[in-house]
Amino acid sequence: MFRALNKYRHVFLVGLQSNLIYRWNFLIRASFSAFHLVVVFILWSAAYEGKTTIGGFDVAQTMTYFVALMVMQFFISAFNEDYQISEEIRNGLINQFLLKPINYFIYRLSIFGSARLVSGLLAIVPLLVAIPFLGDYIALPSGPDEMWRLYLGIPAMAMSAMIQFTIAFCFGLLAFWFLEIQSFIILSYAIETLLAGQIFPLDLLPQPIYTLSQYLPYYYQMYFPVAIFTGRLNAPAAVAQGLCLQLAWLVILLLLSRFLWTRGLRRHTAVGG
Amino acid sequence: MRFFNYIRLWLACVRYSLVRSMMFRMDFIMWSLVELLWMGVNVALVAVIYEHTDSVAGWSKYEMMLLIGTSMIIQRLMMGFFWSNIFEFGRNVRSGNFDFFLAQPGNVLFMVSTRKLDLDSLANVAIAVALVVYSLHRLEITPDAWQIIAYVGLLVCGLAISYSIILLAVSLTFWIIKTEGIEGSYFSLTEFSRLPRQAVKSIIINVAFVYVLPVVVISNIPASTLLHGITLQNVLWLAGAAAFWFSLAVFVFNRGLRHYASASS
Repeated sequence: MFRALNKYRHVFLVGLQSNLIYRWNFLIRASFSAFHLVVVFILWSAAYEGKTTIGGFDVAQTMTYFVALMVMQFFISAFNEDYQISEEIRNGLINQFLLKPINYFIYRLSIFGSARLVSGLLAIVPLLVAIPFLGDYIALPSGPDEMWRLYLGIPAMAMSAMIQFTIAFCFGLLAFWFLEIQSFIILSYAIETLLAGQIFPLDLLPQPIYTLSQYLPYYYQMYFPVAIFTGRLNAPAAVAQGLCLQLAWLVILLLLSRFLWTRGLRRHTAVGG
Repeated sequence: MRFFNYIRLWLACVRYSLVRSMMFRMDFIMWSLVELLWMGVNVALVAVIYEHTDSVAGWSKYEMMLLIGTSMIIQRLMMGFFWSNIFEFGRNVRSGNFDFFLAQPGNVLFMVSTRKLDLDSLANVAIAVALVVYSLHRLEITPDAWQIIAYVGLLVCGLAISYSIILLAVSLTFWIIKTEGIEGSYFSLTEFSRLPRQAVKSIIINVAFVYVLPVVVISNIPASTLLHGITLQNVLWLAGAAAFWFSLAVFVFNRGLRHYASASS
Protein backbone atom coordinates (compact mmCIF):
# COMPACT_ATOMS: atom_id res chain seq x y z
CA MET A 1 0.00 0.00 0.00
CA PHE A 2 2.70 2.43 1.06
CA ARG A 3 4.91 1.48 -1.87
CA ALA A 4 2.02 1.98 -4.20
CA LEU A 5 1.52 5.50 -2.90
CA ASN A 6 5.23 6.18 -3.08
CA LYS A 7 5.34 6.06 -6.86
CA TYR A 8 2.59 8.68 -7.07
CA ARG A 9 4.50 10.80 -4.59
CA HIS A 10 7.32 10.87 -7.11
CA VAL A 11 4.89 11.76 -9.88
CA PHE A 12 3.70 14.63 -7.68
CA LEU A 13 7.25 15.87 -7.10
CA VAL A 14 8.17 15.68 -10.77
CA GLY A 15 4.90 17.47 -11.51
CA LEU A 16 5.89 20.24 -9.11
CA GLN A 17 9.16 20.75 -10.92
CA SER A 18 7.69 20.75 -14.39
CA ASN A 19 4.98 23.18 -13.33
CA LEU A 20 7.49 25.55 -11.80
CA ILE A 21 8.94 25.91 -15.30
CA TYR A 22 5.63 27.46 -16.31
CA ARG A 23 5.56 29.90 -13.40
CA TRP A 24 5.57 32.88 -15.76
CA ASN A 25 2.62 31.52 -17.69
CA PHE A 26 0.69 31.16 -14.46
CA LEU A 27 1.65 34.65 -13.36
CA ILE A 28 0.56 36.12 -16.69
CA ARG A 29 -2.65 34.17 -16.42
CA ALA A 30 -3.23 35.49 -12.92
CA SER A 31 -2.70 39.03 -14.24
CA PHE A 32 -5.31 38.49 -16.97
CA SER A 33 -7.64 37.41 -14.18
CA ALA A 34 -6.86 40.69 -12.47
CA PHE A 35 -8.22 42.51 -15.54
CA HIS A 36 -11.30 40.35 -15.38
CA LEU A 37 -11.68 41.32 -11.74
CA VAL A 38 -11.48 45.01 -12.70
CA VAL A 39 -14.35 44.53 -15.16
CA VAL A 40 -16.36 42.68 -12.52
CA PHE A 41 -15.78 45.49 -10.03
CA ILE A 42 -16.85 48.19 -12.47
CA LEU A 43 -19.97 46.33 -13.54
CA TRP A 44 -21.16 45.37 -10.07
CA SER A 45 -20.35 48.75 -8.51
CA ALA A 46 -22.59 50.28 -11.18
CA ALA A 47 -25.31 47.72 -10.45
CA TYR A 48 -25.15 48.59 -6.74
CA GLU A 49 -25.49 52.32 -7.38
CA GLY A 50 -28.35 53.61 -5.21
CA LYS A 51 -28.79 50.21 -3.57
CA THR A 52 -27.41 48.74 -0.37
CA THR A 53 -28.10 45.09 -1.14
CA ILE A 54 -28.64 42.85 -4.13
CA GLY A 55 -30.17 39.49 -3.31
CA GLY A 56 -29.56 40.22 0.39
CA PHE A 57 -25.81 40.83 0.06
CA ASP A 58 -24.01 44.15 0.13
CA VAL A 59 -21.41 45.27 -2.36
CA ALA A 60 -18.45 44.15 -0.23
CA GLN A 61 -19.88 40.65 0.15
CA THR A 62 -20.39 40.35 -3.59
CA MET A 63 -16.89 41.59 -4.41
CA THR A 64 -15.46 39.19 -1.82
CA TYR A 65 -17.28 36.40 -3.62
CA PHE A 66 -15.61 37.25 -6.92
CA VAL A 67 -12.15 37.65 -5.38
CA ALA A 68 -12.48 34.35 -3.51
CA LEU A 69 -13.71 32.73 -6.72
CA MET A 70 -10.63 33.87 -8.58
CA VAL A 71 -8.23 32.61 -5.94
CA MET A 72 -10.14 29.33 -5.66
CA GLN A 73 -9.91 28.84 -9.43
CA PHE A 74 -6.15 28.72 -9.27
CA PHE A 75 -6.28 26.19 -6.44
CA ILE A 76 -8.92 23.76 -7.69
CA SER A 77 -9.89 24.38 -11.34
CA ALA A 78 -8.91 21.99 -14.07
CA PHE A 79 -7.24 24.24 -16.67
CA ASN A 80 -6.18 22.08 -19.59
CA GLU A 81 -6.02 18.62 -18.06
CA ASP A 82 -8.69 17.42 -20.51
CA TYR A 83 -6.59 18.59 -23.42
CA GLN A 84 -3.40 17.02 -22.09
CA ILE A 85 -5.13 13.68 -21.58
CA SER A 86 -6.66 13.71 -25.05
CA GLU A 87 -3.25 14.52 -26.52
CA GLU A 88 -1.67 11.57 -24.70
CA ILE A 89 -4.33 9.29 -26.07
CA ARG A 90 -4.06 10.67 -29.58
CA ASN A 91 -0.32 10.52 -29.96
CA GLY A 92 0.07 7.19 -28.21
CA LEU A 93 1.94 8.36 -25.13
CA ILE A 94 -0.72 6.64 -23.09
CA ASN A 95 0.55 3.24 -24.21
CA GLN A 96 3.47 3.33 -21.80
CA PHE A 97 1.07 3.59 -18.88
CA LEU A 98 -0.92 0.61 -20.04
CA LEU A 99 2.20 -1.52 -19.81
CA LYS A 100 3.24 -0.41 -16.34
CA PRO A 101 1.67 -0.98 -12.93
CA ILE A 102 0.40 2.58 -12.83
CA ASN A 103 -3.17 3.70 -12.50
CA TYR A 104 -3.55 6.39 -15.14
CA PHE A 105 -6.28 8.22 -13.21
CA ILE A 106 -4.17 8.48 -10.03
CA TYR A 107 -1.10 9.36 -12.09
CA ARG A 108 -2.96 12.25 -13.72
CA LEU A 109 -4.50 13.26 -10.42
CA SER A 110 -1.04 13.54 -8.83
CA ILE A 111 0.09 15.85 -11.62
CA PHE A 112 -3.13 17.86 -11.26
CA GLY A 113 -2.46 18.21 -7.53
CA SER A 114 1.06 19.51 -8.03
CA ALA A 115 -0.04 21.87 -10.82
CA ARG A 116 -2.77 23.42 -8.64
CA LEU A 117 -0.40 23.79 -5.72
CA VAL A 118 1.99 25.79 -7.91
CA SER A 119 -0.67 27.88 -9.66
CA GLY A 120 -2.56 28.49 -6.42
CA LEU A 121 0.51 29.79 -4.60
CA LEU A 122 1.46 31.94 -7.61
CA ALA A 123 -2.04 33.45 -7.77
CA ILE A 124 -1.56 34.71 -4.26
CA VAL A 125 1.22 37.04 -5.48
CA PRO A 126 -0.99 39.42 -7.52
CA LEU A 127 -3.61 39.15 -4.76
CA LEU A 128 -1.16 40.41 -2.14
CA VAL A 129 -0.37 43.34 -4.42
CA ALA A 130 -4.08 44.08 -4.83
CA ILE A 131 -5.13 43.74 -1.19
CA PRO A 132 -4.33 47.34 -0.18
CA PHE A 133 -6.66 48.51 -2.98
CA LEU A 134 -9.33 45.95 -2.20
CA GLY A 135 -9.33 46.49 1.57
CA ASP A 136 -12.79 48.05 1.82
CA TYR A 137 -14.29 45.45 -0.46
CA ILE A 138 -13.28 42.36 1.47
CA ALA A 139 -15.86 41.11 3.96
CA LEU A 140 -15.16 37.57 5.10
CA PRO A 141 -17.28 36.11 7.89
CA SER A 142 -15.02 35.62 10.90
CA GLY A 143 -15.24 34.90 14.62
CA PRO A 144 -15.60 31.79 16.76
CA ASP A 145 -19.16 31.15 15.52
CA GLU A 146 -17.92 30.89 11.97
CA MET A 147 -15.35 28.12 12.48
CA TRP A 148 -17.76 25.60 10.98
CA ARG A 149 -17.11 27.26 7.62
CA LEU A 150 -13.54 25.98 7.80
CA TYR A 151 -14.51 22.45 8.89
CA LEU A 152 -17.11 22.06 6.16
CA GLY A 153 -15.50 24.33 3.58
CA ILE A 154 -12.20 22.51 3.30
CA PRO A 155 -13.71 19.10 2.54
CA ALA A 156 -16.08 20.85 0.12
CA MET A 157 -13.11 22.46 -1.59
CA ALA A 158 -11.25 19.16 -1.81
CA MET A 159 -14.25 17.42 -3.34
CA SER A 160 -14.75 20.33 -5.74
CA ALA A 161 -11.20 19.85 -6.96
CA MET A 162 -11.90 16.13 -7.43
CA ILE A 163 -15.12 16.87 -9.34
CA GLN A 164 -13.33 19.38 -11.56
CA PHE A 165 -10.58 16.91 -12.27
CA THR A 166 -12.89 13.97 -12.90
CA ILE A 167 -15.02 15.95 -15.35
CA ALA A 168 -11.85 17.00 -17.18
CA PHE A 169 -10.64 13.40 -17.15
CA CYS A 170 -13.91 12.18 -18.71
CA PHE A 171 -13.71 14.83 -21.44
CA GLY A 172 -10.11 13.88 -22.12
CA LEU A 173 -11.15 10.24 -22.56
CA LEU A 174 -13.54 11.27 -25.33
CA ALA A 175 -10.42 11.26 -27.49
CA PHE A 176 -10.87 7.47 -27.67
CA TRP A 177 -13.98 8.11 -29.77
CA PHE A 178 -13.44 11.51 -31.41
CA LEU A 179 -10.46 12.98 -33.19
CA GLU A 180 -11.14 16.56 -32.20
CA ILE A 181 -12.54 17.26 -28.75
CA GLN A 182 -11.59 20.92 -28.30
CA SER A 183 -15.08 22.10 -29.23
CA PHE A 184 -16.69 19.69 -26.73
CA ILE A 185 -14.40 21.00 -24.04
CA ILE A 186 -15.17 24.66 -24.67
CA LEU A 187 -18.88 23.94 -25.02
CA SER A 188 -18.98 22.26 -21.64
CA TYR A 189 -16.71 24.96 -20.24
CA ALA A 190 -19.35 27.56 -21.07
CA ILE A 191 -22.00 25.55 -19.23
CA GLU A 192 -19.69 24.93 -16.30
CA THR A 193 -18.71 28.60 -15.98
CA LEU A 194 -22.33 29.64 -15.89
CA LEU A 195 -23.74 26.94 -13.60
CA ALA A 196 -20.73 26.84 -11.28
CA GLY A 197 -21.38 30.47 -10.44
CA GLN A 198 -18.34 31.99 -12.12
CA ILE A 199 -20.32 34.63 -14.01
CA PHE A 200 -22.58 35.67 -11.12
CA PRO A 201 -23.33 34.23 -7.67
CA LEU A 202 -25.88 31.49 -8.28
CA ASP A 203 -28.14 32.68 -5.45
CA LEU A 204 -29.06 35.68 -7.61
CA LEU A 205 -30.87 33.36 -10.02
CA PRO A 206 -34.65 33.19 -9.74
CA GLN A 207 -35.48 30.80 -6.87
CA PRO A 208 -36.68 27.76 -8.90
CA ILE A 209 -33.63 27.82 -11.17
CA TYR A 210 -31.34 28.23 -8.16
CA THR A 211 -32.91 25.22 -6.48
CA LEU A 212 -32.53 23.22 -9.68
CA SER A 213 -28.87 24.21 -9.97
CA GLN A 214 -28.23 22.71 -6.52
CA TYR A 215 -28.93 19.27 -7.91
CA LEU A 216 -26.43 19.62 -10.75
CA PRO A 217 -22.75 18.70 -10.40
CA TYR A 218 -21.60 22.15 -11.57
CA TYR A 219 -22.90 23.77 -8.38
CA TYR A 220 -20.44 21.62 -6.44
CA GLN A 221 -17.42 22.23 -8.60
CA MET A 222 -16.96 25.88 -7.61
CA TYR A 223 -19.90 27.81 -6.18
CA PHE A 224 -20.43 25.54 -3.17
CA PRO A 225 -17.05 25.95 -1.40
CA VAL A 226 -16.77 29.63 -2.35
CA ALA A 227 -20.26 30.31 -0.97
CA ILE A 228 -19.38 28.55 2.29
CA PHE A 229 -16.23 30.60 2.78
CA THR A 230 -17.71 33.95 1.77
CA GLY A 231 -20.90 33.74 3.80
CA ARG A 232 -23.44 33.21 1.04
CA LEU A 233 -24.46 29.89 2.59
CA ASN A 234 -25.26 30.36 6.25
CA ALA A 235 -26.97 27.24 7.57
CA PRO A 236 -24.48 24.56 8.72
CA ALA A 237 -27.14 21.84 8.50
CA ALA A 238 -27.98 22.67 4.90
CA VAL A 239 -24.28 22.81 4.05
CA ALA A 240 -23.77 19.36 5.56
CA GLN A 241 -26.60 18.13 3.38
CA GLY A 242 -24.90 19.77 0.42
CA LEU A 243 -21.71 17.89 1.24
CA CYS A 244 -23.63 14.60 0.93
CA LEU A 245 -24.98 15.59 -2.48
CA GLN A 246 -21.48 16.66 -3.48
CA LEU A 247 -20.10 13.29 -2.44
CA ALA A 248 -22.84 11.56 -4.42
CA TRP A 249 -21.93 13.50 -7.56
CA LEU A 250 -18.26 12.76 -7.03
CA VAL A 251 -18.97 9.02 -6.83
CA ILE A 252 -21.17 9.15 -9.94
CA LEU A 253 -18.48 10.98 -11.88
CA LEU A 254 -15.77 8.58 -10.70
CA LEU A 255 -17.88 5.65 -11.85
CA LEU A 256 -18.47 7.37 -15.17
CA SER A 257 -14.77 7.95 -15.66
CA ARG A 258 -14.11 4.30 -14.84
CA PHE A 259 -16.72 3.23 -17.37
CA LEU A 260 -15.37 5.51 -20.10
CA TRP A 261 -11.84 4.29 -19.38
CA THR A 262 -12.63 0.57 -19.74
CA ARG A 263 -14.87 1.16 -22.77
CA GLY A 264 -12.33 3.47 -24.35
CA LEU A 265 -9.46 1.02 -23.91
CA ARG A 266 -11.44 -1.58 -25.82
CA ARG A 267 -11.52 0.76 -28.79
CA HIS A 268 -7.96 1.91 -28.33
CA THR A 269 -5.61 0.75 -31.07
CA ALA A 270 -2.34 2.09 -29.63
CA VAL A 271 -0.91 3.95 -32.56
CA GLY A 272 2.45 5.66 -32.30
CA GLY A 273 4.25 5.54 -28.98
CA MET B 1 -1.19 44.12 -57.99
CA ARG B 2 -4.25 46.13 -58.76
CA PHE B 3 -7.21 46.56 -56.45
CA PHE B 4 -9.34 44.25 -58.57
CA ASN B 5 -6.84 41.44 -58.21
CA TYR B 6 -6.94 41.74 -54.43
CA ILE B 7 -10.70 41.31 -54.50
CA ARG B 8 -10.34 38.20 -56.66
CA LEU B 9 -7.69 36.85 -54.31
CA TRP B 10 -9.89 37.48 -51.31
CA LEU B 11 -12.84 35.77 -52.97
CA ALA B 12 -10.63 32.75 -53.59
CA CYS B 13 -9.85 32.64 -49.88
CA VAL B 14 -13.56 32.87 -49.09
CA ARG B 15 -14.25 29.98 -51.43
CA TYR B 16 -11.47 27.93 -49.84
CA SER B 17 -12.84 28.57 -46.35
CA LEU B 18 -16.36 27.66 -47.46
CA VAL B 19 -15.18 24.39 -48.95
CA ARG B 20 -13.28 23.59 -45.78
CA SER B 21 -16.31 24.23 -43.59
CA MET B 22 -18.42 22.05 -45.82
CA MET B 23 -15.86 19.27 -45.47
CA PHE B 24 -15.94 19.43 -41.68
CA ARG B 25 -19.64 20.10 -41.20
CA MET B 26 -19.81 18.65 -37.68
CA ASP B 27 -16.93 20.86 -36.64
CA PHE B 28 -18.67 23.91 -38.04
CA ILE B 29 -21.87 23.11 -36.15
CA MET B 30 -20.05 22.44 -32.88
CA TRP B 31 -18.03 25.66 -33.00
CA SER B 32 -21.10 27.69 -33.92
CA LEU B 33 -22.81 26.19 -30.88
CA VAL B 34 -19.83 27.03 -28.70
CA GLU B 35 -19.95 30.68 -29.68
CA LEU B 36 -23.71 30.80 -29.35
CA LEU B 37 -23.46 29.44 -25.84
CA TRP B 38 -20.83 31.97 -24.85
CA MET B 39 -23.05 34.73 -26.12
CA GLY B 40 -25.81 33.18 -24.02
CA VAL B 41 -23.58 33.35 -20.95
CA ASN B 42 -23.22 37.11 -21.37
CA VAL B 43 -26.92 37.59 -21.97
CA ALA B 44 -27.62 35.52 -18.85
CA LEU B 45 -25.38 37.81 -16.80
CA VAL B 46 -27.35 40.86 -17.94
CA ALA B 47 -30.66 39.11 -17.33
CA VAL B 48 -29.65 38.16 -13.79
CA ILE B 49 -28.34 41.61 -12.89
CA TYR B 50 -31.57 43.22 -14.09
CA GLU B 51 -33.58 40.78 -12.00
CA HIS B 52 -32.30 42.83 -9.08
CA THR B 53 -31.96 46.35 -10.47
CA ASP B 54 -33.52 48.53 -13.14
CA SER B 55 -30.51 50.46 -14.24
CA VAL B 56 -26.76 50.01 -14.45
CA ALA B 57 -24.96 53.34 -14.86
CA GLY B 58 -28.10 54.73 -16.45
CA TRP B 59 -28.53 51.88 -18.93
CA SER B 60 -31.79 49.95 -18.87
CA LYS B 61 -31.96 46.21 -19.45
CA TYR B 62 -32.49 46.28 -23.20
CA GLU B 63 -30.07 49.14 -23.70
CA MET B 64 -27.52 46.91 -22.01
CA MET B 65 -28.50 43.96 -24.24
CA LEU B 66 -27.98 46.22 -27.22
CA LEU B 67 -24.52 47.10 -25.92
CA ILE B 68 -23.67 43.42 -25.43
CA GLY B 69 -24.97 42.65 -28.93
CA THR B 70 -22.88 45.46 -30.42
CA SER B 71 -19.73 44.32 -28.66
CA MET B 72 -20.45 40.76 -29.83
CA ILE B 73 -20.84 41.86 -33.46
CA ILE B 74 -17.40 43.47 -33.38
CA GLN B 75 -15.84 40.53 -31.58
CA ARG B 76 -17.35 37.92 -33.92
CA LEU B 77 -16.38 39.91 -37.01
CA MET B 78 -12.88 40.11 -35.62
CA MET B 79 -12.80 36.37 -34.96
CA GLY B 80 -14.37 35.58 -38.31
CA PHE B 81 -12.10 37.65 -40.50
CA PHE B 82 -8.80 38.14 -38.72
CA TRP B 83 -8.28 36.30 -35.47
CA SER B 84 -6.82 32.98 -36.63
CA ASN B 85 -4.88 34.72 -39.42
CA ILE B 86 -3.11 36.97 -36.95
CA PHE B 87 -2.63 34.09 -34.55
CA GLU B 88 -0.95 32.06 -37.28
CA PHE B 89 1.09 35.03 -38.40
CA GLY B 90 2.74 35.07 -34.96
CA ARG B 91 3.37 31.36 -35.13
CA ASN B 92 4.79 31.58 -38.65
CA VAL B 93 7.23 34.30 -37.68
CA ARG B 94 8.43 32.12 -34.82
CA SER B 95 8.80 29.04 -36.99
CA GLY B 96 10.16 30.73 -40.10
CA ASN B 97 7.22 29.71 -42.29
CA PHE B 98 6.61 33.40 -42.71
CA ASP B 99 9.12 33.31 -45.62
CA PHE B 100 6.32 31.84 -47.70
CA PHE B 101 4.27 35.04 -47.34
CA LEU B 102 7.20 37.24 -48.29
CA ALA B 103 7.64 35.27 -51.48
CA GLN B 104 4.09 36.01 -52.65
CA PRO B 105 3.57 38.84 -55.14
CA GLY B 106 1.31 41.10 -53.12
CA ASN B 107 1.01 43.29 -50.08
CA VAL B 108 2.37 41.20 -47.20
CA LEU B 109 -0.06 42.54 -44.62
CA PHE B 110 -3.00 41.75 -46.91
CA MET B 111 -1.72 38.24 -47.55
CA VAL B 112 -1.17 37.64 -43.83
CA SER B 113 -4.56 38.95 -42.72
CA THR B 114 -6.96 37.42 -45.22
CA ARG B 115 -5.90 33.83 -45.69
CA LYS B 116 -8.92 32.23 -44.15
CA LEU B 117 -12.29 32.98 -42.61
CA ASP B 118 -13.91 31.38 -39.59
CA LEU B 119 -17.43 30.85 -40.82
CA ASP B 120 -18.74 29.73 -37.44
CA SER B 121 -17.90 33.16 -36.01
CA LEU B 122 -19.49 34.88 -38.98
CA ALA B 123 -22.63 32.78 -38.53
CA ASN B 124 -22.83 34.09 -35.00
CA VAL B 125 -22.66 37.68 -36.23
CA ALA B 126 -26.22 37.08 -37.40
CA ILE B 127 -27.26 36.10 -33.87
CA ALA B 128 -25.56 39.17 -32.40
CA VAL B 129 -27.34 41.37 -34.97
CA ALA B 130 -30.60 39.67 -34.01
CA LEU B 131 -29.93 40.54 -30.36
CA VAL B 132 -29.44 44.19 -31.31
CA VAL B 133 -32.61 44.25 -33.44
CA TYR B 134 -34.62 42.53 -30.71
CA SER B 135 -33.38 45.02 -28.09
CA LEU B 136 -34.35 47.92 -30.38
CA HIS B 137 -37.78 46.37 -30.76
CA ARG B 138 -38.21 46.03 -27.00
CA LEU B 139 -37.07 49.61 -26.51
CA GLU B 140 -39.51 50.69 -29.25
CA ILE B 141 -36.77 52.55 -31.06
CA THR B 142 -36.76 52.77 -34.83
CA PRO B 143 -33.45 54.24 -35.95
CA ASP B 144 -33.49 56.26 -39.16
CA ALA B 145 -31.38 55.40 -42.18
CA TRP B 146 -28.59 57.79 -41.18
CA GLN B 147 -28.31 56.23 -37.76
CA ILE B 148 -28.03 52.78 -39.29
CA ILE B 149 -25.38 53.93 -41.74
CA ALA B 150 -23.46 55.61 -38.92
CA TYR B 151 -23.82 52.48 -36.77
CA VAL B 152 -22.36 50.26 -39.48
CA GLY B 153 -19.56 52.73 -40.13
CA LEU B 154 -18.74 52.90 -36.43
CA LEU B 155 -18.71 49.10 -36.20
CA VAL B 156 -16.15 49.08 -39.00
CA CYS B 157 -14.08 51.60 -37.02
CA GLY B 158 -14.36 49.36 -33.95
CA LEU B 159 -13.29 46.38 -35.98
CA ALA B 160 -10.33 48.33 -37.39
CA ILE B 161 -9.25 49.35 -33.89
CA SER B 162 -9.49 45.78 -32.57
CA TYR B 163 -7.60 44.46 -35.58
CA SER B 164 -4.87 47.07 -35.24
CA ILE B 165 -4.34 46.54 -31.52
CA ILE B 166 -3.97 42.78 -31.88
CA LEU B 167 -1.79 43.15 -34.97
CA LEU B 168 0.43 45.51 -33.00
CA ALA B 169 0.69 43.08 -30.10
CA VAL B 170 1.50 40.12 -32.34
CA SER B 171 3.94 42.16 -34.44
CA LEU B 172 6.13 42.25 -31.35
CA THR B 173 7.04 38.71 -32.40
CA PHE B 174 9.40 40.27 -34.95
CA TRP B 175 11.52 41.54 -32.08
CA ILE B 176 10.71 39.30 -29.13
CA ILE B 177 10.29 35.73 -30.29
CA LYS B 178 8.50 34.45 -27.22
CA THR B 179 5.08 36.06 -27.46
CA GLU B 180 2.88 32.97 -27.19
CA GLY B 181 -0.36 33.77 -25.49
CA ILE B 182 -0.24 37.49 -26.22
CA GLU B 183 -3.25 37.02 -28.52
CA GLY B 184 -5.19 35.91 -25.46
CA SER B 185 -5.08 39.47 -24.18
CA TYR B 186 -7.72 40.24 -26.82
CA PHE B 187 -10.33 38.38 -24.78
CA SER B 188 -9.41 40.33 -21.67
CA LEU B 189 -9.80 43.56 -23.62
CA THR B 190 -13.18 42.63 -25.11
CA GLU B 191 -14.54 42.27 -21.60
CA PHE B 192 -14.15 46.03 -21.26
CA SER B 193 -16.25 46.65 -24.36
CA ARG B 194 -19.25 45.07 -22.64
CA LEU B 195 -19.21 47.79 -19.96
CA PRO B 196 -21.26 50.98 -20.21
CA ARG B 197 -18.86 53.88 -20.41
CA GLN B 198 -20.70 55.74 -17.63
CA ALA B 199 -19.88 52.87 -15.25
CA VAL B 200 -16.16 53.56 -15.54
CA LYS B 201 -15.50 55.95 -12.67
CA SER B 202 -11.83 55.48 -11.89
CA ILE B 203 -9.54 57.99 -13.59
CA ILE B 204 -6.82 55.41 -14.19
CA ILE B 205 -9.21 52.98 -15.86
CA ASN B 206 -10.70 55.82 -17.88
CA VAL B 207 -7.32 56.87 -19.18
CA ALA B 208 -6.24 53.29 -19.85
CA PHE B 209 -9.33 51.76 -21.45
CA VAL B 210 -11.36 54.71 -22.73
CA TYR B 211 -8.75 57.14 -24.02
CA VAL B 212 -5.46 55.30 -24.55
CA LEU B 213 -6.87 51.90 -25.58
CA PRO B 214 -10.37 52.79 -26.76
CA VAL B 215 -11.79 49.33 -25.94
CA VAL B 216 -14.73 50.69 -23.96
CA VAL B 217 -15.84 53.18 -26.59
CA ILE B 218 -15.62 50.86 -29.62
CA SER B 219 -18.94 49.37 -28.49
CA ASN B 220 -20.38 52.30 -26.52
CA ILE B 221 -20.26 54.85 -29.32
CA PRO B 222 -22.07 52.71 -31.93
CA ALA B 223 -24.61 51.57 -29.32
CA SER B 224 -25.43 55.09 -28.17
CA THR B 225 -25.65 56.20 -31.80
CA LEU B 226 -28.55 53.78 -32.25
CA LEU B 227 -30.09 54.68 -28.89
CA HIS B 228 -29.66 58.43 -28.71
CA GLY B 229 -28.75 59.60 -32.21
CA ILE B 230 -25.59 60.61 -33.99
CA THR B 231 -23.08 62.80 -32.15
CA LEU B 232 -20.52 64.32 -34.48
CA GLN B 233 -17.93 64.49 -31.71
CA ASN B 234 -18.21 60.75 -31.00
CA VAL B 235 -18.09 59.81 -34.66
CA LEU B 236 -14.95 61.87 -35.15
CA TRP B 237 -13.42 60.37 -32.03
CA LEU B 238 -13.90 56.78 -33.13
CA ALA B 239 -12.95 57.44 -36.75
CA GLY B 240 -9.85 59.31 -35.61
CA ALA B 241 -8.89 56.52 -33.21
CA ALA B 242 -9.36 53.95 -35.99
CA ALA B 243 -7.15 55.94 -38.38
CA PHE B 244 -4.51 56.42 -35.70
CA TRP B 245 -4.36 52.80 -34.56
CA PHE B 246 -4.45 51.42 -38.08
CA SER B 247 -1.59 53.63 -39.28
CA LEU B 248 0.42 52.80 -36.18
CA ALA B 249 -0.13 49.07 -36.69
CA VAL B 250 0.84 49.25 -40.38
CA PHE B 251 3.93 51.28 -39.50
CA VAL B 252 5.06 48.87 -36.79
CA PHE B 253 4.31 45.86 -38.97
CA ASN B 254 6.45 47.25 -41.78
CA ARG B 255 9.28 48.10 -39.41
CA GLY B 256 9.02 44.54 -38.13
CA LEU B 257 9.28 43.17 -41.67
CA ARG B 258 12.63 44.85 -42.02
CA HIS B 259 13.73 43.23 -38.78
CA TYR B 260 12.62 39.77 -39.83
CA ALA B 261 15.56 37.47 -40.38
CA SER B 262 13.74 34.17 -40.91
CA ALA B 263 14.38 31.15 -38.72
CA SER B 264 16.43 28.06 -39.30
CA SER B 265 14.24 25.30 -40.60
